[in-house]
Amino acid sequence: MRTLDYIAPESAADAIALLAEHGESARPLAGGTDLIVDLKHSPGNIHILVDVSGLEEFRGIEETDEGLRIGSMATYAEIMENPICLEKTPEVVAASHTVGAVQTRNLGTIGGNLVTCVPSADSAPALMVLDAEVTVAGTNGNRRMPIEEFFVGPRKTILQPHELLVDIWIPKKNLGKPSSFYKFGLRKGQALALVNVAAALELKSGKIVEPRIALGAVAPTPIRILKAETFLSGKKPTKKNIQEAARIAVTESKPIDDFRASASYRCQLIQTLTQRVLTRSLEIATAS
Amino acid sequence: MLVELKVNGEPRSADVPPETTLLKMLREYLNLTGAKLGCDVGDCGTCTVIVDGVSVNSCLMLAARANGHEVTTIEGLANSNELHPLQEKFEEHGALQCGFCGPGMLISAKNLLDKNPDPTVFEVRDALAGNLCRCTGYTKIIEAVIDAGRVMNAEQANS
Repeated sequence: MRTLDYIAPESAADAIALLAEHGESARPLAGGTDLIVDLKHSPGNIHILVDVSGLEEFRGIEETDEGLRIGSMATYAEIMENPICLEKTPEVVAASHTVGAVQTRNLGTIGGNLVTCVPSADSAPALMVLDAEVTVAGTNGNRRMPIEEFFVGPRKTILQPHELLVDIWIPKKNLGKPSSFYKFGLRKGQALALVNVAAALELKSGKIVEPRIALGAVAPTPIRILKAETFLSGKKPTKKNIQEAARIAVTESKPIDDFRASASYRCQLIQTLTQRVLTRSLEIATAS
Repeated sequence: MLVELKVNGEPRSADVPPETTLLKMLREYLNLTGAKLGCDVGDCGTCTVIVDGVSVNSCLMLAARANGHEVTTIEGLANSNELHPLQEKFEEHGALQCGFCGPGMLISAKNLLDKNPDPTVFEVRDALAGNLCRCTGYTKIIEAVIDAGRVMNAEQANS
C-alpha cells in the first residue's frame, strides 16, 4: 500500500476541518472494507486518512420522537443485534445480514455502504422504502435530505469533499411498516447483488396505501419505482395488480450486462423478485 | 506511529508506518505468523482475528485502528498443555487438508461458539461464509465446529 498519514480526530468538527483543509488528498475512513481495498489496488491521490469510525456524533442507534436514528458509523453487525432495529425495521436487519460475511459486517458501516454508493448497495433499497432521510455535515453546518437525493451516480454521492454523512433517519410513522427485502446474488455469502429489491406498504379497508418499491443493481444508483407506487396506490391487493407493478418496475429499470449476469436475466429477476417482496409485504400487512 | 495493543492477553507494541494493516503488524512486527495473507481484499478470511470480541479481516483493518484494543489470534487458542476443543475436533474430523484456511476458520468458529455454543448447521455456514477452503468442501469443518460446541457445552456444564 502507498504511504499514508492516519489521523483520528476527536470530533466531527475536527474531521470536517481536516477534510476541508486537505481537499481531494484526504478521505474519511469508516469501516475500510472498500476504501482499504481501493488504496491497495487503484492509483489515486489520497494521502491522508481521517478515521471517523469512532466519532461519537456518528455512532449509536436510538429511537426518538422523530423516529429511528442510525448513526452512519453503526456497523451491520450492530444493526443486526440492535433490539429496536430487530423489532421495528426487520428488513433493514435482513438487508444488513446479506452484506459480505461476518468479518465484513463487523467492520463495515451502513454509512460507508451509502457513501461508497455502488448501485448494488444492499442497505439502500431497505432504507428507501421506509422514506429514510440522511443528515450531511460540512463546513456550512448540517443539512437533511431524502436518501434518494444522496445518490448521484455509480460511486458518486451528493457529498462535497469536506462533507460527511452523520446519520440516517427513519420517520416514526414508518417504524414497523410492513416491508420485505430480497437480495439475489450468485452465492449467499461474499456476493454482490445481481438484483436487490425492497417493498413496503399498508393495507387500509382492503386497499394498498403508501406503497414503496426500491431496487438496487438495476440502474446507475439504487432507485425508487415511483410509477409502480402510483399505480398500486389505492388498488386492491390482487395478483394481477402486483404483476403489473412488477412489470412497471422492469420498464423503469436500466440494468446492464456484466460478467455477473446479462441485462435480460436481471429483468426477469426484477419481475419475479418485485412480485415476491410485494406479496410478502401484503402477507405481513394482512397478518398485522 | 507507535501502536500499542493487547495480543492474546499480553501487551505488545510496535512502531509501524501509518498505512500498515493489522495483519502486517502481527506478522512482520510481532512475529505472529498464524494469521495468513491470502487474497488481501477481505474475501478469503485466512487473516481473520478477533478484535474486542468481534472477528475482522485483519488485512482490511489498519494497525492504527487497533491501537489500545484487544486482539486474539490463532496463537491464543491453545496453551502449552492442551489444544482448544475446536483444534482437537478439527484434527479428529480431518477438517483441514492443506491448512492454509485453518487459522481463519478456527478464529471464525471460535467467534461463533463464544456467542452461540449450540449452533445449527445453517448458523455455522453463515458464520464461516467469509472463510474460503479450497480443499475440504466444508462438510467436515462444519461437523467439527458443531462437535466442538458440544464439548465446550459439556465442559461448561461440568465446571
